[in-house]
This record gives sequence, structure tokens and C-alpha cells, in this order.
Amino acid sequence: MTDKPHDLTLDFGDDDDVVLPSDPTFDAWIAREATSLNAPPTAPRLEMWKAIEAAQKTLADASAERVSGVHPLKRIRWFVPAAIAAALLLGIGIDRYTLRLGRPDDRAAAHTLVAAAPSDPSKLYRLAAVQTLSQAEALLTAYRAGGRAGESVAATQQLGVWGREVLSSTRLLMDSPAGDDPQLRTLLHDLELVLAQIIRLSGSPVDTTDRQLIDRAMRDHDLLPRIQTAVPAGVAGTASDD
Amino acid sequence: METETTLTLERATVLADQRALVERAQCGDASAHRALYEAHVDRIYRLTFRITGREELARELTQDTFVRAFAGIAAFRKESAFGTWLHSIAVSVTLNELKRRKRQSAREAPLEDALTIARAAPDSDPVLRERVAEAVAALPAGCRAVFMMHDAEGLTHEEIAAALGVTTGTSKAQLSRGRAKLRVALAEFAEEWNR
Repeated sequence: MTDKPHDLTLDFGDDDDVVLPSDPTFDAWIAREATSLNAPPTAPRLEMWKAIEAAQKTLADASAERVSGVHPLKRIRWFVPAAIAAALLLGIGIDRYTLRLGRPDDRAAAHTLVAAAPSDPSKLYRLAAVQTLSQAEALLTAYRAGGRAGESVAATQQLGVWGREVLSSTRLLMDSPAGDDPQLRTLLHDLELVLAQIIRLSGSPVDTTDRQLIDRAMRDHDLLPRIQTAVPAGVAGTASDD
Repeated sequence: METETTLTLERATVLADQRALVERAQCGDASAHRALYEAHVDRIYRLTFRITGREELARELTQDTFVRAFAGIAAFRKESAFGTWLHSIAVSVTLNELKRRKRQSAREAPLEDALTIARAAPDSDPVLRERVAEAVAALPAGCRAVFMMHDAEGLTHEEIAAALGVTTGTSKAQLSRGRAKLRVALAEFAEEWNR
């Protein structure tokens, strides 16, 4: 592993291979003009450092499972994402082995792996989808309740930690065969966007504009009703709507 | 590129101090985290603001950069300077966030369209100012990042290349391309630079 930038895909334009002539006079002029573009104000150093410290503490607390008070499922919500991830990875492993069945040496290994898994891999993905959406429903309900009750910075931090877990499961689902279902994929994509926004609230005082944007996104995409429709009644972990 | 034998004594001392700070930070020393933050925050904030043009977003992205850097500092292998590594995280975080917002605004009303519009200094011709800002905003994101990092923020091609994970040749080529595109977009104002 090196110190290379991670997960950055650069867009240099569709005509990247076209050579364009240069003009030194213009180049010098635009370089002078550029210094006044988006001239930065003084950095709010102390304010940013406090937010960074708070985020670091949240991460440390999350690692030690010291978070509390966000939702009664605080223990379960740490276990379920790991279980979902394991289920999805097992399912992906099954798929990869079945693709290699043409080679004699793989058949024995494939049989062993398949025998250890549910007879119908699609059940695995459906279970993972239900569990992920249940967690998402609980989180979104807690988010809405926090707004009505007057939300503290600590509460947004805890929502952020929870949101990262659910977002991770959501993305695993999108990359799994479960994501091939167009309706589910659209729901997961809409959920991903809202979760990312909620995570961004973490550690900072909740800005009214930020909350309005998230509320609008949830409302415009009919997110909670769609999730509740997708999750069968009585599934463990489902929070009651308010 | 600087080597140990070509460094001035002062710069070598600064680098050695930075390495010592990084090693302390890798051992979990909170005061080392703070010292590294104080040493680099201005440059990172300036960079994120240059690219986004928004104070609040630049602040959030700067915070994200440092949180990620400190969370992953144990894996930092010191192949580059710490500041260069921070730059790479900042650019990655910033461009990915802009991409996400662009995707989101394509689905909703264009609330964030002004996000990447650069703002020029208020003392220049307002029409020219607006057109320069629009032309820069219209550049492809990678090209715009190179242009802002070099011409607006004064980073070298070596620094830009290290931050973006490209060669210095690519950085130079993209700067040249960006400037050429801007020249075409601003052609009606040619007398401004041909005086």
C-alpha cells in the first residue's frame, strides 16, 4: 500500500486527447486573474479544530461501543451491519464459485461452499435487504424525531456514526445481485443520498438549511413510505413511525 | 525535486520536525495532531475554498480532510511529505463531494448550481469578472482543479501531481488545456490581455 490518493476519479473532459494551442500573453493574464478567483477568507481555525476533535472522539467512542441514547437498538445496530456484510460477502462468494464450475478442481470447493449456504442464495439477499432497510427506517425515524425535539451536536454525531454503518450496508447491497432489481436499486440510491447528507451533519450544530435539504429529499423521494412498504411488518429492528 | 543534499538547513530542519510530529501522531499523541493541524490547516482550507467557493462547504471539507488523515495516519508511509498527502486527501474529498452534489442536483431543483461558480475580486470589471468565473466553472472538474491549484493557489506541478496521483506531465498538459479552453470562452475580451 502506498500514500497515493484514494478513490479519486478525475474528469479531464471528453476531448482530453485534443491538443489546443497556447497563448503566453493570455496565460500570463489569466494566471493573474486567477489569484482573485474564490479568494479565501481567513480560516476559522479554532472552530474547525473543535469539530475535528469532536469527530475524533465520536470515532473513538464508536470503536469502543460507548455510544448511547440514540435508539433502543444501540446494541443490535452494531451487530446487524456486520451480519449483513457477512451475508452479502458470502452470497458474492457463492456467485463467484458457481461461475468457475467449468474447472474440475473448483467443483468440489463449490459444492462445499454451497452446501454451507442457504439452498436459495436469493433468500440471503432478500434477508440482507430487509435488515438494511429496517435499520434505515429506524435511523430516519430517529433523525426526524431529533429535529422535533431540538437536536444536540452529540446527537448528530451519534446519528452520523449510525448512518455510516447503514450507508456501508446500503452500498454493499447495491453492489450485490440484490441491486439488479430496478425498484430496489432506485430506493437504495435515494437512501444513499439522504444517508450521506445525514452523515455530513455529524459533529456540527444542525444548520436549518441542511435540515431543510434533507427533509426535502426525504419528502420528494417519498423515502420512508417506500422503505416501510419494502419491509414486511413485524421484522425485528423496525422502529414504529411517529 | 528536493533531496537531502540540496535542502537548505532551515528547510531540512522543518522537514525533520514534521517527520517527528508525524511519528508522534502515529503513536496517538494528540498534541502532535494539533501541531500538524496548525501547520497545514490554512493551505488545506484555502485549497478547498478555491475549488468550491463556499465558506461552509470549505470548512466541512477541511474538517473531513483532517479527520480522515488522523484516522488513517498509521498507514502513512512517508513516501511523500505529510502536506502533500493531506493535499491528496483534500482534493479527493472535495472533488468527490462536488460530484455527489452534482448528481443530487441533477435529480432535484438546481439549488447547488452556484456551488462551483468561482467568484472574482469585486474591484475588476463586473461583466468580465462574471464571465471569467463562468468560464472557470465550465471547465471539466479535473482540469478546473489543476487550474485553481496552480494559477489561483500557486501549487507547483510536482505538488499537484502528487495530490492528484498523476504525472507532472499530465498536470502541465491539463493546465495548458484549461487555459486554452478559457481563452476560447473569453475570446470577446481579447483586448484585456492584448493591451
